Amino acid sequence: MQGLQMPSPEWIALAIIQAFIMLSLAPLVTGGTRVLRAKMHSRQGPGVLQDYRDIGKLLRRQELAPHPTGFVFRWTPTVMIVTMLLVGMALPTVTNQSPFPIAGDIITDIYLFAIFRFFFSLAGLDSGSIFAGLGASREVTLGVLVEPILMLSILVMVLIAGSSDLGLISTHVATQSMAVPGAMILAGLACAFVIFIEMGKLPFDCAEAEQELQEGPLTEYSGSGLAMIKLGLGLKQVVVAQLFIALFIPFGKATELTIPALGLATLVLLAKLFVIFLIAGVIENSVARTRFVKTHHLTWVGFGVAVLAFIFFLTGL
Amino acid sequence: MSPLDLLVLSLSLYLIGALATLLFKANEPMAYKLSGVFGAAGGVVGVVLALGALLSGEVNVYQLPSPFYFADLIVRIDLLGAFMIGVISLIVIAASIYSLSYMQEYEGKGAWAMGFFLNLFIASMVALVVCDNAFYFIVLFEAMSLASYFLVIGEQSEKGVKAGLQYFLYAHGGSVLIMIAFFLMYREAGSLNFDAFRQLSLDPTMASIVFLLAFFGFGAKAGIITLHGWLPQAHPAAPSHASALMSGVMVKVGVFGIIKVGIDLLGADLLWWGYMVLAFGAVSSVLGVLYALAEHDIKRLLAYHTVENIGIILMGVGVGMIGLASGNDVIAALGLLGGLYHLLNHAVFKGLLFLGAGSMIYRVHTKDMDSMGGLGKLMPYTAIAFLIGTMAISALPPLNGFVSEWFIYQSLISMSKTGDLLMTSLAPVAVIMLALTGALACMCFVKVYGICFAGAPKTQAAAKATEVPLCMNIGTMMLALMCIILGIGSPWIAPVISSVAAELVNSQAIVVQQGAALVPVDGTQAILSTPVIAVTLIALLMVPAAILRLFRGQKMARRVAGDPWACGYAVEDRMTVSAGSFTSTLRAMYEPLYRIRNILNPANRLLQGLTKTKQGASQLEPQLDNRVVMPTVRLVQALARRVQVLQRGDFRVYCMYIVVALFVLLIIPVELGVN
Repeated sequence: MQGLQMPSPEWIALAIIQAFIMLSLAPLVTGGTRVLRAKMHSRQGPGVLQDYRDIGKLLRRQELAPHPTGFVFRWTPTVMIVTMLLVGMALPTVTNQSPFPIAGDIITDIYLFAIFRFFFSLAGLDSGSIFAGLGASREVTLGVLVEPILMLSILVMVLIAGSSDLGLISTHVATQSMAVPGAMILAGLACAFVIFIEMGKLPFDCAEAEQELQEGPLTEYSGSGLAMIKLGLGLKQVVVAQLFIALFIPFGKATELTIPALGLATLVLLAKLFVIFLIAGVIENSVARTRFVKTHHLTWVGFGVAVLAFIFFLTGL
Repeated sequence: MSPLDLLVLSLSLYLIGALATLLFKANEPMAYKLSGVFGAAGGVVGVVLALGALLSGEVNVYQLPSPFYFADLIVRIDLLGAFMIGVISLIVIAASIYSLSYMQEYEGKGAWAMGFFLNLFIASMVALVVCDNAFYFIVLFEAMSLASYFLVIGEQSEKGVKAGLQYFLYAHGGSVLIMIAFFLMYREAGSLNFDAFRQLSLDPTMASIVFLLAFFGFGAKAGIITLHGWLPQAHPAAPSHASALMSGVMVKVGVFGIIKVGIDLLGADLLWWGYMVLAFGAVSSVLGVLYALAEHDIKRLLAYHTVENIGIILMGVGVGMIGLASGNDVIAALGLLGGLYHLLNHAVFKGLLFLGAGSMIYRVHTKDMDSMGGLGKLMPYTAIAFLIGTMAISALPPLNGFVSEWFIYQSLISMSKTGDLLMTSLAPVAVIMLALTGALACMCFVKVYGICFAGAPKTQAAAKATEVPLCMNIGTMMLALMCIILGIGSPWIAPVISSVAAELVNSQAIVVQQGAALVPVDGTQAILSTPVIAVTLIALLMVPAAILRLFRGQKMARRVAGDPWACGYAVEDRMTVSAGSFTSTLRAMYEPLYRIRNILNPANRLLQGLTKTKQGASQLEPQLDNRVVMPTVRLVQALARRVQVLQRGDFRVYCMYIVVALFVLLIIPVELGVN
């Protein structure tokens, strides 16, 4: 197997372009989810571009922060967008190779997500609001519950591929997917479960009930700060969905860096994204919110599936 | 200057500092300032020594004249020893500069004595890591324990004295085990020199006994779980810069001891040693951070995090030992590299966090986090340094904690790729526990920073806090800078530490660097470049800036005013999240793990045992009097009373006694036939 290198300029350009596209698609994805929810609730609902309009309007508004807030509160929206952009650059989306392997190590990515979570919840505490504080507490608690599942399910893939680089795992799965199918499917299930939670969906969250759960930390944000945070949260949804795609369904990708090949791969990718968000949206709108103190009963199931995946890997199934 | 000269110079500076404090006992500000200045100077010399030795890669052995015929005074400045001196000296510099202002708090409370013991404590640690003879090792180990014991009881509060007693028990219980281990090796080798121990080839049972004794002996000093009970008591009791040294450096001497005996002296022959170290490491890391989460006292919380990080270090060391025992040098070097790197990193960020906590206590005069709040605005420099420390300890890239944990992850992944069923199945368990630890640490430090620095002040004292004096800021800022340098500079620092690991493994240094990137041996497994990540993150800042520039309205600037929203009620300062409520859900979810704390912690039983022994002794003493001494006395007196009958007071009777006696004496020889 060829070793990993510092990326060449073309690959870096691809990385930057894909990160920008993800950022610009983020409001479309969240908007689409709102449309789907409205349809499932049998109401008219906003248009699919509503989140672009919301963010645009918020950006023009004055930003007001309560007096206890400090520099952490101020810088958090920026930190959230920047870390997610970096993960976005590293994901092998339209190619099997990671365009920016420097951040394409899966362990690095998991800890980049940790930066996001760290600052998001810290901002909640920094606002001095009790609701934001509780939301912050729940955000990090959820992190503790899902991180072992994410790590174990991805570790199974790492062991199968013999590398912790996203691109190499992706390549391996695309070329030799039949090696240990049982373990891979179970790991995929466990990972999908985590990705679903990371998107901030019901039964673990409800985006329209903003003073609770994960949306809690942004209670005190307003104006451009709120716009940036909404952008960051949307970007995270896109990024985690693509992380899942890169690891478990890495098919139909470009083999060379030419415009037609990349264009075709982009179309395939968009189709996959659409399906994933459709499934996530349907599940989200067909369940009720769980009580937070009972969440760990659900996450234990996820962990069990991940353990099962690992056992399947050991037995070579 | 040769390494030995530097070592002697560094040690002399510490000792001069200690003596100066004794001389200026009456003038306390002078005393602690002298100890701080000399301490910092000694630290600088120590860093120079360490850098020189590490970069040259030479092992220097010196034999010095020893006053004892049975113990050779051998100084061996090998790479591991130089590395440890570097770690110790680095924290010493920051802590000494910090103490120049911080010790003001202790004026009139024995500040001179603390300066004295602190410098002795440092000197004994520095000498300990390079001494190559079991006798001097034990003596210095005891000196270190005793000096730190006096720092723990420095405040003379009831709590401090109790913590000191517990620490004393653990420390000496540990020393006894280590002494037995050394004695067993001495019996085989016939010499107390470590070099003779290295030549030994003990049979597996004997080697295992020695290793177990050393592991638990040094483990008590390192604070592995089940032997950690003294940490959360003793570290908070000492002054903050002393706790930074105790928690950041002294516990590492425990790890150093485990490496020294397990790998250097015994060669890590048996596979199960490695598994045991790994298992203790993994359990210590998860439970350590879980118990930290439940704490409200900031210094106790940080002390529990030491248990966690010692666990992470031991995970690396355990992988290293497994690699050595199974003959896989690459895994061995990778694991040790991760462990040693984390050892350095933990010393830096834990030192920083303890100093930061000291700064808060200096202003707010309490260790209770729920009495702080809002310090971020009032103490901005401390807040930024502390934030960097919390990010580093939560292993957020590109800071230093992440790099070392990344190496430990990679070593575990390499370990599970070997194909050996036990390794393949156990390494992922360790990975999961490390991941869980990471998530919990992240939560815990969101709590610490959030409760102490963010939001609104919770008490009057916190509201009146101001930035701490310059010296204290220099101390914290220096360590914060080190967190960044050790993280972003990792492609140039890792190879140096890799050569230390290679020396322990006895092989060529493994390749961990590829240009400005880190790779675990080769690039097929993973690649990481913290400098590139840092640059990219900074460059990406342009994106949000551009969005704001393009779309933000120009009319009204950002405004900070008004209270947080409280559902329409008037906001009160009490309405913020507290240290307890922040983690209450998680503590409910992990309740069983908290219950085993009392079962696992032998401290209570130890204390009970001690009380019983004391009672027993106090009962035994009168027993001796009552059963042996008093009956004898009574018997003698009774006999005397019987004899009294003879004493009538009439001198004629006495004359008769004499006559009778003479008569008897004259007759006896004849009767016995003497002549």
